[in-house]
Amino acid sequence: MIETLGIVDIRKMNGFVSEAFGINLADYASTILKRRYVHMLNTYNCVSVDNFEDRIKKGIITADDVMYEVSLETTELFRDPSAWREMRDKYLPEVCKSGKCNILMPGESSGDELYSMMIVLSEANLLDKVQVDAYCPSNRNLKQIKDGGLYDSKKLELGDANYTRYSGPKTLSNYYTLVDNRAKMQSSLLNGVNLSVRDVQKNADTKRYKMIVYRNVLLQYSVPLYERVVKTLVDKLDIGGYLIIGDMETLEYCDSNRKLVLVDSAEQVYRKKMD
Amino acid sequence: MESEYKAIMIGGSAGSFQVVCKIIAALPADYPLPIIMCLHRLKHVRSGFVEALSIKSKLPIIEPHDKEPLRNGRIYLAPANYHMYIELGNRFSLSTEDVINHSRPSIDLSFFSASYNYKRKLVGIILSGANKDGALGLKSVADGGGLTIVQDPKECQVPTMTTASMNATKVDHIFTTKQIIDFLLKLT
Repeated sequence: MIETLGIVDIRKMNGFVSEAFGINLADYASTILKRRYVHMLNTYNCVSVDNFEDRIKKGIITADDVMYEVSLETTELFRDPSAWREMRDKYLPEVCKSGKCNILMPGESSGDELYSMMIVLSEANLLDKVQVDAYCPSNRNLKQIKDGGLYDSKKLELGDANYTRYSGPKTLSNYYTLVDNRAKMQSSLLNGVNLSVRDVQKNADTKRYKMIVYRNVLLQYSVPLYERVVKTLVDKLDIGGYLIIGDMETLEYCDSNRKLVLVDSAEQVYRKKMD
Repeated sequence: MESEYKAIMIGGSAGSFQVVCKIIAALPADYPLPIIMCLHRLKHVRSGFVEALSIKSKLPIIEPHDKEPLRNGRIYLAPANYHMYIELGNRFSLSTEDVINHSRPSIDLSFFSASYNYKRKLVGIILSGANKDGALGLKSVADGGGLTIVQDPKECQVPTMTTASMNATKVDHIFTTKQIIDFLLKLT
């Protein structure tokens, strides 16, 4: 079992992935990438970094597998309940008041955030006023999310507690069924959602959004990539639209923040200014 | 005099709050080294901890945002429900990866990244705690050539964490709270 990797190993693995699939992971945060790589090597029983290359060449490890393994989970349904309360009570009603509203969730690895959002929209009777587009990093993530995810008892307990703190009108159990002691979310919650495998950076779509929710996804990037991704997100945002990131993330370290105003420092909600 | 160390990392859990309060209360306002603390805490309570510690401290206490540069003369506290790393280039990095040893933040993960970054220039300190998180982290500090200290288990409210650390590696010092304070003051 591989327990850690040095910087040389990480660079070699980045090189293999880039050469085989054209995926550039060199600008991912190195500490997180190191842990994801170690996990991937052990998952695929690679005894060395060279063994990893060999398995890529033999097609045992695909581009889809790499993206699935390196993507950071967002961990919980209704993580940071106060952020979801703010969205429900303040930001969603506002962006929905002037006709159909586009919402983008471009970093869905586990589906926790997407399911949380769809529950919020459903309970607020806003489903017919929004179009939600969501991107995920791999087909494996996509299938997992569409199938309703499968939450073990511990994760379910967290989700239940978060939903209670969010002060939802029901209980979270209204939205899942238990299958072999694991919870499967009602996949019908995703009816009407455009869910696809896309890299937000490579997406030349000119569609604009009134709200982009990208919480705890920037964590996995180093500063240069974080800057590029934030610039893309800001370009996709309507004037007056909201960009919501994780409570311990900040846009302080990127140039694009000059186009935004921080309107809620506790929940890290930014609003796009007039040009 | 310039210290031979660049950073001090402290890990603790159950029973460590009072010890941490005594340590930070003893540090002068011009204490030059960064103190990085990873303490087990309630995941869903985001505020209150920094404020409680700040009452005791002459140094600013900060929960770092992701990508925040690390600066000397500050005390950093791992935020609730995130793992906290030190990246090469002296920036913090946070992560929502799964819990380790039932904990997020994980003391082991913080120590691993700090020891990789600072090697022999790191002081690692493990305080009272009720699980084994931090033991492998302190070992990584020792393996990197850094200095390792555990709070004397006889003094700990819950000695599981310090005992596990002593079992995982040969620590340099077993100190009481007062000795830890004296040591930190002598570093500057």
